[in-house]
Amino acid sequence: MHNPQAKAIRLIEILLLVSAVALFVIGSILGDTFFLRLATESLIFGGLAMSVDLLLGIVGLLSLGQALYFGFGAYLSALVLKEISPSFFLAIGVVTLSSIALGWVASFVALRSKGVYFALITFGLAQVVAKVVYNTRSLGASDGMMGVPILQIWTPFGIVDAGQPGIFFVITMITIGALYAVLKYFLTTPMGSIWHAIRSNEDRLAYVGYKSKGPKQVAFILAAVVAAVSGALYPMLRGFVSPELMFFSVSGNAVVTVVLGGVGTLIGPILGSVLLTSFKSIIGTWTVHHHIVIGLIFVVVVVSAPKGIAGLLAKYFGKAHSGKGGE
Amino acid sequence: MKKKFQTKKIALAVALSFGASLVLAQSGPIKIGVVTPLSGTYTPIGEQVKMGLDLAAKEINAAGGINGKKIDLIYEDEEANPAVATQKAEKLFQVEKVDFLTGTVNSGSTLAVGQLAERNNKLIATTVSFADSITADKCSPNVFRVNARAGMQSAALAAWVDKEIPKANIFFIGPDYEMGRSTVSAFKKASTEKGAKDVGEVFAPLDNKDYSPYFGQVRAAKPNVIYTSVAGNDTVRLFTQMDEYGVNKGVTIVGASGTVTSQNMGAIGKSANGFVTGVGYSPKLDNPANKKFVADFQKAYNKLPDLYGADSYGLLYFYKAAVEKAKSTETDKVRNAMNDLSWQTPQGTKKMRAGDHQAMQDMFAVRVENGEFNIVGRVPSDQAIGPDTCTRF
Amino acid sequence: MLESLQYIYAPQIVNGLSIGVAVVLMALGLTIIFGLLDVINMSHGEFYAAGAFISVSLMAMGVSFWLCLLLVPLFLIPIGFAMERLLIQKVFHYKDRHILTLLLTFGVAMVLEDGYKIIWGANPIKPSAPISGASELLGVMFPNYRLFLMGFGALIIFSVWALIYKTQLGAIVRASAYDKDMSSSLGIPVKRVYALTFAFGVALAGIAGVLLAPIYSVFPTMGRDFILMAFSVVIVGGLGSIKGAVIAGILLTQLQSISSLFISPVWSDPLVFTVMVLVLMFKPTGLYGGMKNA
Repeated sequence: MHNPQAKAIRLIEILLLVSAVALFVIGSILGDTFFLRLATESLIFGGLAMSVDLLLGIVGLLSLGQALYFGFGAYLSALVLKEISPSFFLAIGVVTLSSIALGWVASFVALRSKGVYFALITFGLAQVVAKVVYNTRSLGASDGMMGVPILQIWTPFGIVDAGQPGIFFVITMITIGALYAVLKYFLTTPMGSIWHAIRSNEDRLAYVGYKSKGPKQVAFILAAVVAAVSGALYPMLRGFVSPELMFFSVSGNAVVTVVLGGVGTLIGPILGSVLLTSFKSIIGTWTVHHHIVIGLIFVVVVVSAPKGIAGLLAKYFGKAHSGKGGE
Repeated sequence: MKKKFQTKKIALAVALSFGASLVLAQSGPIKIGVVTPLSGTYTPIGEQVKMGLDLAAKEINAAGGINGKKIDLIYEDEEANPAVATQKAEKLFQVEKVDFLTGTVNSGSTLAVGQLAERNNKLIATTVSFADSITADKCSPNVFRVNARAGMQSAALAAWVDKEIPKANIFFIGPDYEMGRSTVSAFKKASTEKGAKDVGEVFAPLDNKDYSPYFGQVRAAKPNVIYTSVAGNDTVRLFTQMDEYGVNKGVTIVGASGTVTSQNMGAIGKSANGFVTGVGYSPKLDNPANKKFVADFQKAYNKLPDLYGADSYGLLYFYKAAVEKAKSTETDKVRNAMNDLSWQTPQGTKKMRAGDHQAMQDMFAVRVENGEFNIVGRVPSDQAIGPDTCTRF
Repeated sequence: MLESLQYIYAPQIVNGLSIGVAVVLMALGLTIIFGLLDVINMSHGEFYAAGAFISVSLMAMGVSFWLCLLLVPLFLIPIGFAMERLLIQKVFHYKDRHILTLLLTFGVAMVLEDGYKIIWGANPIKPSAPISGASELLGVMFPNYRLFLMGFGALIIFSVWALIYKTQLGAIVRASAYDKDMSSSLGIPVKRVYALTFAFGVALAGIAGVLLAPIYSVFPTMGRDFILMAFSVVIVGGLGSIKGAVIAGILLTQLQSISSLFISPVWSDPLVFTVMVLVLMFKPTGLYGGMKNA
C-alpha cells in the first residue's frame, strides 16, 4: 500500500473495529450501560458526519443543513415505531425509501447552486423545516415525541432485545458499517471517479464529455439516505425525538466532526464523532464553557491541519514512505 | 490504537469503581444529579436553579444531612436540549448512580428525562417547567413537580384581573411555540370565564427582534389589558419597545410568571413597572421562613432569589422530608413517601398531590414596582390547583 | 378603509423601514467582506454583538453614546485586522478556501459567543437610547430614536457606498477584488488591503451593534438574531453589491412587515427564505452581482 491516505483510512478502520469489539466485550462483562450507549450515540452522529463528508470531502459541497435529513429520519422512524409497528426493519425500510424521495426533491432546490451558495441554501432549508416542526402540534411541537418503544429485533440468531445496551451497540455498528460499505462501494464505481473529478474541477468535466448534474444528484440523495438512516436509529436508542435534532447546532457539529476526523475519508468522521462525543461528555462535566474549548480546537484544526486526524496520519505515512514516493 | 484502547479500559474501570464504591460504602453521601442549562439562552434560569439548590444543600449538610448522610450535588449542562439532557441524565444515573435527579428547564427536556427515569427506575423532579402536560396528559409515575404549573398561575392572575379591572378587554401576545400558545389559551379560558373579553391575539416567533410591526394590531383592538407569555430576552424587547411606542399608555400589562424575572428585570428597567403576574413566589412574601431564605440567598449571591431559585431551594427539603419518612432512598419507598407529603418552603406549606404529582400551594398576584415584586393578591391552593387529569397512575 | 391605511399600513411600512435600515447595516459589512475576499464571515453576528457589548462597557464608564460610535470601530479594526492576518490568510491559499474560511469564522463565532458570557454574563443588558421621546407621524406615535436611526443609518450606508465607488481608496479595494495579481504588480499592497477591508467590515458590524443596542438590547447570543436575515439580504442583493444589499434589505423587510398582517408572523421567516431560494434558483448572482460591476 503506497497511498498514504488509503493507509490512514485502513488504520482508522482497524482502530475503530478493534476498540468497538473491546468495548463490547469489556462493557458486556462489566454490565456497563452508559459507555456502550454513549458509544452507540457517537456512532449515530458519526453516520450523520459521514453523510456530510460524502458531500464535502468527496463531491466538494458544504452542507450546513444535513440535520434536516437526520431529523427527518428520526421523526419518521419514531412515527413508524409508535404508530404502525415496533419493527426495526420496517422503520429502516420506510426511512430509506422516504429519504430517497426527500433527497431527490431537495436536490432540485439545493443543487441549483454551488460553493457558498450551496452552503447557505442548505443552512436555510434546514432552518425553515426545523421551525415548521417546532410549531407542528401533531409532531409534538417544541416538546418532541416521547414513548418510542424498546424494540425486539429479529436476527438470524433469534430475536434480540434492543434495550440491552451491548446488543443495540452491535446493531448500530452493523447499520453504520453497512452505510459505510455502500459509500465505499460507490467510490470504486465510475460514479466515484466522476465525484472526485467534480471536486477537482467541475467545469473541466464538461470538456471531457461528462455531465456533473446526475452524479451530483446521486451523491446528494445518498447523503440524505445516510443521514436519515442514522437518524432513524436515534429514537431506537433514546426513546424520543425532539426538534432540537434538526437545529443548526447538530448540522454545525457534524461539520466540526468531519473536519476534525479528516475530510474526504468517510471513516475519519466516525472517528471524529467518537472522539468528540467522549470529549464533550468529559469536558461538559469540567466546565460549562465547553463551546469555547471546542471552538478553539476547531479553529486550530482548520488553520493548522485542515485535513484532520486522517490527514495527519496520511502525512506521517507519506513521510515514512517518501523514499518510495507516495502519491 | 493502543492508547485509545487503554482510555476505554480506564473509563470502564472508573465506572466499575463507582459501582463498587457504592456497594461498599452505604454510608456515603446521597447523590442528587442536576441536569440544567448552564449554557445557551436558558443560562440565567439554570443559574438560579443552581443557586437555590446549593444554598439548600449547604444548609441541610450543616444541619446533619438527610438521615445522617450528606447531600452531594452533581451538575451537568443540558444546553436546554432534550438530546443532551438525556445523555447527561443517563451518565448521572448509570455512572454516578445518583439517587435523585432534578434541574431540567424546558418541558421537552423534563419529559424526555422523565421517560429515561422510568426506564431506569429512578425519580426526578422539575422545579421550573410549567407546561401543564407534565402533570396532566403526559404525567409519569417517576416525575414530580414542586413548582406551580401554568394553570395555577393563570387562575391567580385571572382572579386579580377580574377584581381590579372587571370586564377587561384583553389583547394576547404570545411567543409562537407550544408553551407560549398553551399559556395564552389557559389564561384566555380563565379570564373569559370571569367575564373578560378577548379582543385579539398575535403570536410572534421565539427570539423575535422587533415587536413594533404588531403594535398596529394592538392599537386597533383598543385593549385595556395586554396579556403576554413571552420570556427572557424577548420580554426585554417587547416591554421596552412598547414603551418606545407608547403602546402601554393607559393599558395594564399582565403576563406569565416567567415573563419578568430578576434576570431580565434590570434590562427592562422602568418599562416593567406596573406589570402584574400570577406566580408561586415573591421575595416579598411575609413569613419568617422566606425572610430567612431571602437574607441567606442575598448574603451568598448578592442578588435576590426568584421563583426558580425558591422552588429549587424548596425541592431539596421536599426530598429530605420524603427520604426521612421512607427511611430509605429506594425509588418505590421514596415515591410512596412523596405522595401526599406536606413540607415547608419559603412559600409556606406545599403539598404533593398523589394523583398527578403536582405540588399544591397558595398562588399570588404580584405587581412589579421599581424592581420589586409586591404582592397584590392571593388565591388559596385548593382554588388554584385545578382538577387532577392524570390517568397513568 | 382609510383609517386602516393610516393606522395599520402606514406605521407598518415605516416600522419595516426602520428594521430594514438595521438589517442593511448588518448586511453591509458582510457583503463587503464577501465582495473583496470571497469570505463568508459566519462570525459577523458576533462582531455585531462585540460592538454592542463594548459600547455597554464604555457607557458604564461614563463615555457618551456618540463617542462610543467613534471608539468602537477603533477597538474592532485592530481585532479584525489581526483575525484576517493570523487566521484567514492561513487558509486563503487552499483551493476550497470558501469552505475553510467559512468553517474558520464559524469556529471564531463559537469562541466569541461563549467569551461574551464569561465577560458580561448571560443576563440581558439594555443601554438607554441617547434620544428619547416619540413624535407623531401620520397620526401615529413613532419613537424619535428610530427616526434618528433611519436617517443616520442611511447616511452611513451612503458614505460607505461613496467610499468604495467614488474615492481613490475604494478604487484600490475594487481593483484588488477584481484582479489580485494585476493589482499586486501595479504596486497595490493587496494583502494589507485585504486585511483592512476585513477590519472595515467588522467595524461596520460593530457600529451596527452600538446603534441597535438601545432598541434590541444586549446579550451573548444576540449575534444570531440578524444573521439569517442578513445572509438572505446579501444573497438576494448579490454577494458583494452594496446597492443590491440596500434594495434587497428594504424589499425583504417590507415583505416581512406587511405579510405579518395577514399570515402568522412565524411564517414570515420562511417566506423571506423562500424568496432567497427562488432568487438563488433563477438568478444565482442575485439582483446585482458583485462589487466589480457596481
